[in-house]
Amino acid sequence: MADDLPEQFDLIVIGTGFTESCIAAAASRVGKTVLHLDSNDYYGNVWGSVGVEDLIRLLASDAVLHSTLRNGSYTWHDESGDTSTSEGDEMKEETGQQWTRETVLAMSRRFCIDLCPRILYSSGELVQLLIQSNICRYTEFRAVDNVCMQQNGNIVSIPCSRSDIFNTKSLTIVEKRLLMKFMNACNDYGEDKCNEDTLAFRGRTFAEYLQAQRVTEKIASCVMQAIAMCGPNTSFEEGMLRTQRFLRSLGRYGNTPFLYPMYGCGEFPQSFCRQCAVYGGIYCLQRSVDDCAVDANSKEVLISSAGTTFRAKHVVSAPRYLPASRDCVMRPHLSRGLFLSSTPLGNEVLNKGGGGVNILRLMEGVREAIFIQLSHFSGACPKGLYLFHVTTPAVSDDPAEDLRPFTMQLFQNSTPEIVFSSYFTLTTQSQPDKVGADDAVFYTDAPSFEMDFYDAIANARDIFGRLYTDVEFLPRAPDVEEIVVDGEDPSALNEHSLPEDLRAQLQDMQQATEQMDIQD
Amino acid sequence: MTARNPQTLMALPNEENFDFLFKIVLIGDCGTGKTCIVDRFKTGNYIERHGNTIGVDFSMKTIAVEAKQIKLQIWDTAGQERFRTITQSYYRSANGVLIVYDITKRSSFSNLQKWIEEVRRYTASNVLIILIGNKCDMETEREVDFEEARQMCQYIPEILFVMETSAKENMNVEDAFRCLATELKRQHDANNVEAVDENTITLGQGKPLKSCSSSCNLT
Repeated sequence: MADDLPEQFDLIVIGTGFTESCIAAAASRVGKTVLHLDSNDYYGNVWGSVGVEDLIRLLASDAVLHSTLRNGSYTWHDESGDTSTSEGDEMKEETGQQWTRETVLAMSRRFCIDLCPRILYSSGELVQLLIQSNICRYTEFRAVDNVCMQQNGNIVSIPCSRSDIFNTKSLTIVEKRLLMKFMNACNDYGEDKCNEDTLAFRGRTFAEYLQAQRVTEKIASCVMQAIAMCGPNTSFEEGMLRTQRFLRSLGRYGNTPFLYPMYGCGEFPQSFCRQCAVYGGIYCLQRSVDDCAVDANSKEVLISSAGTTFRAKHVVSAPRYLPASRDCVMRPHLSRGLFLSSTPLGNEVLNKGGGGVNILRLMEGVREAIFIQLSHFSGACPKGLYLFHVTTPAVSDDPAEDLRPFTMQLFQNSTPEIVFSSYFTLTTQSQPDKVGADDAVFYTDAPSFEMDFYDAIANARDIFGRLYTDVEFLPRAPDVEEIVVDGEDPSALNEHSLPEDLRAQLQDMQQATEQMDIQD
Repeated sequence: MTARNPQTLMALPNEENFDFLFKIVLIGDCGTGKTCIVDRFKTGNYIERHGNTIGVDFSMKTIAVEAKQIKLQIWDTAGQERFRTITQSYYRSANGVLIVYDITKRSSFSNLQKWIEEVRRYTASNVLIILIGNKCDMETEREVDFEEARQMCQYIPEILFVMETSAKENMNVEDAFRCLATELKRQHDANNVEAVDENTITLGQGKPLKSCSSSCNLT
């Protein structure tokens, strides 16, 4: 890097995944100098969204040094279609475009395929963080159209709102009343600490609690599958927490309590990176780290990259980006399945207006998987194609095998026309040896199995808190009207950019001056 | 409660009204004067600066075109052009793009092809592009002839026009934005703009309860 880049930073962040980007933005926001590097030529690492060509490149190259993506495989299913009878072709012509390898690849960039897809609770951690920090101005959202469950082998939408419950034909009047009563009870849970009803269930499972509520089989499966998102062994407390998360996110933006980001979850790391850059963070992609050491005297971390050595007080890195972390044992963590289909899953009701953005939680014994269908309304794929994401905690090195029970459930009654299928594993690894004695180098966690970004944000907050104590995590960025550029006006000292104590002082002074005017 | 711009969530002063809002993004090599152009347009001043304006995400300015108030939301690169690391999301939902080169720096002109490719890759097909040759006050150091730029535009149909400006001497800056705004308005009038999906949600944006579809809280 022959440019006039500074060589000294407060923080060097390596990898542009969700957690790293979040920390980079938070540090930059409070005035730290930040250098952000990634070996990839795109933002997001395993948290990013890629086009079809890029996905295939990732799946084929198992040997990318810094990647935690393994066991990739993919298949095109268009060959059989080519040999089909002319009658079939005519039918296709009526329904519009025929999707083949060529037509899909020609539109490769129109896809935003999440390597690690997530769905947000409308009042969940990330939504709150984005609003609180004003980073929400970089992203738009689509309300999830249907939260689904399986019933007698069919996929049906569950009623989410009060009016949904009222209108649904799949529940009897008695069931409707029971469901409402149950939901109200969950919502009130925790407010009355000595509520006798729930005390008895502390330490037991949520399934037991549900049973004791004498709800019908249909409601029980609806709650377990889609609302509380529980398994048979989920604890009562956890089940309650998840139910409340669901209920409190209702009625905020759409008909379901969930949101999906337009153009994929890869928008989040990019939004955080933009925020970091706006506050002076420096970005270099396609730059890998060759060496990482600690200066014995200054205790600074030295990062060598492409012939330059940067010094920083702290380093935050994604797993495997630093040479020291490349020898660590990798364990399969998430098994991912990804399908492109020319027909949506489920019936017409679930796919009004050309395909819904739908989610379905699948269960198989104690194992579970999350299925997400994305249509062109999500901005993640072209019109007429559907993106199916399936994710389950890995139990082996074979993602296709891990997902087989779930894909069988999915495709047993409805057989969508799959054009492309692929599988891969996202791995996690043991913490590498510390570089130097000090806590100067921090590693972020690999994506965990969760719907939203609760774990990732907790991880980012934790690392940020260890880097900088008593500093606010992503305070609100002022709107453009609130900024006066370059001291043309003394109030250029923007109120929002001031620390809390100074802001209070400023307000006191302003009040004092106002009072003085009155006395005069 | 203050009104909010649905695209940006920014609080709008109630008295300020506008008929159209367009997002314009600036790109081009480092040091071509993008921020100076925005400053000149926005405030009328020329500020010699070093490095980035910390904390400024985008600027807003409302201008009158053909008897309509047009609000321009102008996004600067936040320094991410330096190593060509502009995020894709920067380009999302942009209506117009200003590609800026420096007439005294050949390399910034040679790099235009790369910037145009990036625009093609990441923006919608109906985006309007204008090319700006900045620093035209420095005639003695000129390395790129205007004719050359004009010829290049012949081969790139997406580019609406090319114009030389000087943020320092306040030449053509206002005109460049005005021409782009006029063209955007005409495009909009001709209904060439895809209708905004009503179902897209921007966080923190208040919505009257009755306009929300059958959703209501269970509590």
